[in-house]
Amino acid sequence: MEESAREEILARLRKVPKEETPVRPVLPPARELSLDKEGLVSLFTEKLSRETGVVYRAADRDEALDHLTEIARTENLKRVMTSTDDTILSLDLPAWGDRNGVAVSTAADYVDREEYKRAVFDEADAGITGADFAVAETGTLVTAHSERQPRLVSLAPILHIAVVGIDRLVPVYEEALNAFYGYGGRIPAHVTLITGPSMTADIRATSFKGMHGPRRVMVILLG
Amino acid sequence: MKVNTRNFVQTAEREMQNQYARAFLALMPPVIAALRVQVMGSFPDPEAAQELGRAIRAEAVARMPDLLEEFERNAVAAGARVLWARDASEANELVLSIARERNVTEVTKGKSMISEETGLNEAFKNNGIEPFETDLGEFIAQQLERPPFHIVGPAINVPVEEICDLFMKKAGMEKATTDPVELGYAARLFLRDKFRRVRMGITGVNVAVAETGAIVNVENEGNIRFNKSSPLTQVSLMSIEKVVPTMNDALHLVRLLCRNCTGQGISAYVSIDRGPKMKEEFDGPEELFIIIVDNGRSRIYEDVKMRQVLRCIRCGACLNLCPIYSKIGGYPYGWAYSGPMGQVLNPALLGVDDTSDLFNACTLCGTCREICPAGVDHPELFLYYRELEAEGKKMSSGRWEARFFKLWGTAAAHTGLWRFFYRLVRPVVARYGKEGKIKAMPGPFEGWFKTRDLPVPARRTFRDRWRKSMSEKNLSRGGME
Repeated sequence: MEESAREEILARLRKVPKEETPVRPVLPPARELSLDKEGLVSLFTEKLSRETGVVYRAADRDEALDHLTEIARTENLKRVMTSTDDTILSLDLPAWGDRNGVAVSTAADYVDREEYKRAVFDEADAGITGADFAVAETGTLVTAHSERQPRLVSLAPILHIAVVGIDRLVPVYEEALNAFYGYGGRIPAHVTLITGPSMTADIRATSFKGMHGPRRVMVILLG
Repeated sequence: MKVNTRNFVQTAEREMQNQYARAFLALMPPVIAALRVQVMGSFPDPEAAQELGRAIRAEAVARMPDLLEEFERNAVAAGARVLWARDASEANELVLSIARERNVTEVTKGKSMISEETGLNEAFKNNGIEPFETDLGEFIAQQLERPPFHIVGPAINVPVEEICDLFMKKAGMEKATTDPVELGYAARLFLRDKFRRVRMGITGVNVAVAETGAIVNVENEGNIRFNKSSPLTQVSLMSIEKVVPTMNDALHLVRLLCRNCTGQGISAYVSIDRGPKMKEEFDGPEELFIIIVDNGRSRIYEDVKMRQVLRCIRCGACLNLCPIYSKIGGYPYGWAYSGPMGQVLNPALLGVDDTSDLFNACTLCGTCREICPAGVDHPELFLYYRELEAEGKKMSSGRWEARFFKLWGTAAAHTGLWRFFYRLVRPVVARYGKEGKIKAMPGPFEGWFKTRDLPVPARRTFRDRWRKSMSEKNLSRGGME
């Protein structure tokens, strides 16, 4: 049945004379492309702040951990789940958690998918992840998901904290996505672009953050 | 979804009495429209950016069969299973059989307009499977069993008191509240439990990419991301016109879609799938089914004049500025799509016979065409539908109408003849006047007055008065000299 539906649909589409494909206009280059590093940082910060995201800067690993400590204190974090990408591993968060009384776990710590889901849905006060890119254009995090970057860690907990190397800050989406889809190699199964917290305005057009995913997003720009 | 396009006039009349909806319509669409203009300004050349979107969509439609095959090849190479459905029932049956094989009794759904078209929720229910819409607006509309009021805010017009009752009854909310934030939070808790347990998630597709075999979804709530992360099986439905050539084309369309849809630079989440999860991943679907649905579109494709309707990307920008939509809201359009979008899509998908009021309820002002980032020429389509309707009906008045306009044409082309008829007709017409208005006339003109009044012609024509005043002026001037 499937096969014949496919043939039938394609045959009908091919029966008609082909239209010419129109000439595409050439766009002037995006303004973001002319920004220097500091320009990108301030644009990224401005755009993300507009979506209620909070941006911190950390000169090094220790400063990043200081920010995390401060956030853990003010947000009263008891349990967090983290990704295991290079940026996050370099922070040695289990040791940080021991020093600050925060239980730190990763998806691999649970016996199976169900246990991991239970923990990330019901137990984690925050998800702490890296991101492959930060895009200045709209204050967007771009992440290719993998076993080191599980999908639910940046989605299910009510607070999402991302740590991104400043060398990963790019002006426009294309520079991020072409790195995944452009040059062969292992293409990720799942890529997300995250701009601020989960939100809705579906009831009486009243904006509400934290509809299904995080209510708040914090980004630590490292370096 | 039940088709209710024949009750356009009655529903519109009812909705125009709905003060709550009217107040909303007076406020919200202009705000979104203004935001849109502002955020389009982030393009160095907004008009060129719109033009590029139009060119991408035109190319996508022109190359549709090739792009579909390329997309399928790449998606399958990435491990997705691609299925094809001729019509609504085939599409629903494919989804149902996937659910049955996995003994699924509940599914969660991200917003998918094609599934609204095919009536997937009804099909689930009829087969003992409980579907949960997880987009907040869709969830409310689903529970109230209403069509979408607006493509972006399907239940944005529903009063909070009504939502409160609904959530107390059907979403396990314990304490009554009319605070939109608390209501939203109640829905969060209810649906979160579903996200955790459910084994099959359904999504639509905003853009499919031929060169990578990837599907792209745009959303603000995170419900689609949950559907792509938590269940073991993901089923994504797309209509055949969703495929564009490249990833960069998709990115440009996402930029345009968000700006035109909600006036955002980008939505909170954009998620891109290429195949199911990798083996080592801890979450994500083990199986990804992509169902490519035709449901009448390849027939539309055969009609070179109608084909352009397939360029639409469902942003809803045309709704916000439409003088008709902004008075009557989304319900009169009677199906999945409303506003100018519905006026071009519903007749193409359902046929012109059942949708006559939709393409006739238009002043042809052309605002929708101007604003459209996909290059749909709505007025041209409306005229085409009207032409099809007139031809199909072979209207009984056709012969007389033709004679009348022939006479009209001759008279209008000859000044003397025009004046002669004019003087003949004016007193006759004036006799039907009451209190300065003519509200009805018998005979062939009856229909014209169904929706219009004519002011009673003045006793003396403007030309007569002009001539008289000029001669008086000349007289008085003459006197001074």
